[in-house]
Amino acid sequence: MKKTLLLFYFLGIFLVVPKVLAQEISIPKDPKDFRTFLQIQKEVPGLGYRLLIPDSSIDSTLLAELDLQIIPTDSGQLSGVKENFELFGLLPNDSLGFQVIYTVFEQATADSAAQEYLANLVRNGDFVPRTEIQKPQNDLVALAIHSPYIPVFGNKYTFTADIKLFIVTSVIFTFFIFAFGMFVYMLVLRAKKNRKEELEAEYDQMIVDPLTSILFDKSLEEIKQMKMEELNSFFPNELVIKPIYREVLIDRIIGLNKKMKGDFKDKLKTLYHKLGLAKVSVDKIKLRSSSKWHIVADGLVEINEMDLVEFVPEVKKLTNSSNFHVRSLAVAAMLNLSQKSDLSFLRDQTYPLSDWQQMNYLRIIKFVSQSKELKIEMLFESQNPSIRSFGLKLVRMLGRVDLLEKLSQIAPKLGDEEKVEVLKVYREFGAHMEVDFVNDCLRSSNKELMTQAIKAARVVGNEQSVEILESLLLNENDFHIKMLILKSIHELNDDKFQELTIRNTDSSLFKMRKHILDPKLSHV
Amino acid sequence: MKKILIIEDDLLISSLVQFRLKKDGYETHLVKDGNEGIKAIEDLNPDLIITDVMMPFRSGIEIIHHAKKSKPDTPIIVLSSLGEEEEVVLEAFNLGVSDFVPKPFNPNELAIRVKRVLS
Repeated sequence: MKKTLLLFYFLGIFLVVPKVLAQEISIPKDPKDFRTFLQIQKEVPGLGYRLLIPDSSIDSTLLAELDLQIIPTDSGQLSGVKENFELFGLLPNDSLGFQVIYTVFEQATADSAAQEYLANLVRNGDFVPRTEIQKPQNDLVALAIHSPYIPVFGNKYTFTADIKLFIVTSVIFTFFIFAFGMFVYMLVLRAKKNRKEELEAEYDQMIVDPLTSILFDKSLEEIKQMKMEELNSFFPNELVIKPIYREVLIDRIIGLNKKMKGDFKDKLKTLYHKLGLAKVSVDKIKLRSSSKWHIVADGLVEINEMDLVEFVPEVKKLTNSSNFHVRSLAVAAMLNLSQKSDLSFLRDQTYPLSDWQQMNYLRIIKFVSQSKELKIEMLFESQNPSIRSFGLKLVRMLGRVDLLEKLSQIAPKLGDEEKVEVLKVYREFGAHMEVDFVNDCLRSSNKELMTQAIKAARVVGNEQSVEILESLLLNENDFHIKMLILKSIHELNDDKFQELTIRNTDSSLFKMRKHILDPKLSHV
Repeated sequence: MKKILIIEDDLLISSLVQFRLKKDGYETHLVKDGNEGIKAIEDLNPDLIITDVMMPFRSGIEIIHHAKKSKPDTPIIVLSSLGEEEEVVLEAFNLGVSDFVPKPFNPNELAIRVKRVLS
């Protein structure tokens, strides 16, 4: 959220800057207003004017006072080039009395060109127009017409008056503040990390001796009978309440628990409870914030490693978590810890099982199935196809022949993917009584299902299977499938195999025959 | 007093083993990596070496190689979590180690094995 706001802040600056820079100062277009504007400026670099005065339209005394360097011409009297626009204020307020000819670098130019020249100077920042707030001696509306609107340049401070300089400086200043902030943040984080590592090393040393001493000097019964005061003489309470000390203690006890066996394991478990570490672990899995999933995962690993069966109900709540890691660890912990032989927590899982999860669960189930009889058939009732497939895989991997009857009941109603698993089971167990199902699958339009049925037919097939396989062979173009069909026919009916491979005009069948009959290639 | 060198990178495990063996009256020395282990074999001339397999700098197998060259009569007990890996166990025994204790282990059981090897 903070990152997004920061991004919008910088984007905002870049969106606003061109807009501000694009502002233009309005130069009055009306000749009279333009003269008034120039009069306020007093002087503009490169811009001047000449006055063309019709004969006797201006008093000759005034002309002499103004020092206009008059040159007589055919159309009247023409002044020299003047650059002081203040003179406009001294001339009669009558536009018909004289004509102003503007010059740019002493070259006569049209009014519009002079206005454009001045506008360019302003735009490029070469000239900053002056504004004079006149006291409202006249009508306000008239004043508004005469006073050009010039935003921000009327600022009190010169620095803020230059908007471009202000914005660039602000951006640079913000950048440096941000960079400095990041640097300080990094230093603080680094210092915190170093401090944490130092503390961990220090606590590690402090934990070794008392833990070793308790494990060797006290029997399991003695540890169970130990009061808190006695325990605190080994592990001081003021340290145990510190989170870092607790984490180091948990790590060390779990590490030892993995590498020790015999009554040492029981002693470690008792200590784990007595020091209140079991509560720390269960509190971790009660966190509901999705961003703290790694803490929940840590808690699940701790509960699993320390065999804390009393927290099974809490662990069960996480078996359908939206987080993959939490869900996987919770199921693994349930499989290890649960004393009940049902797999209802797995049956009710709504998320699909990945291959990695299936391998992991299978490894645990293989181990625990020796000590308790799991009700694998519960998985067939799941609404989740990947759980049903996993249940079928378990039947095959664990050699549960007793579930064949159950499979026979549910197999016709299953989807193609699950039927593939059922066929693997039938093939593995040599389930000849299920040949009708296999023959049905041979006729399937689903290639994967058909391929698996061809393989299963090799083990459990009958004469009807051979007939179906023969018709498939004649209509099939895929080399791999033809090879599988021939292998199955070879196993089921050698006469038919000879007939199909010798008398057939298809030379590829003959090559396949040679391959199948070659003992060196039997597994290729 | 018999001198036992314990080469193990896990401080808690080595402390536990040391504590247990001290109770039986042995003089014990701890080192935490392979390099220190090789140096300690030369410096201490121990009566028994207990070593882990997976360690920083040099593995336990390298230590066994070195020990069998420089101190061929010193018995060695390997203490490792690689106990389930047949190749490691076979290699260790081929090199002439006296015993192999797989982790998880019971320190009391290790003490009995130490006693047997040293007798």
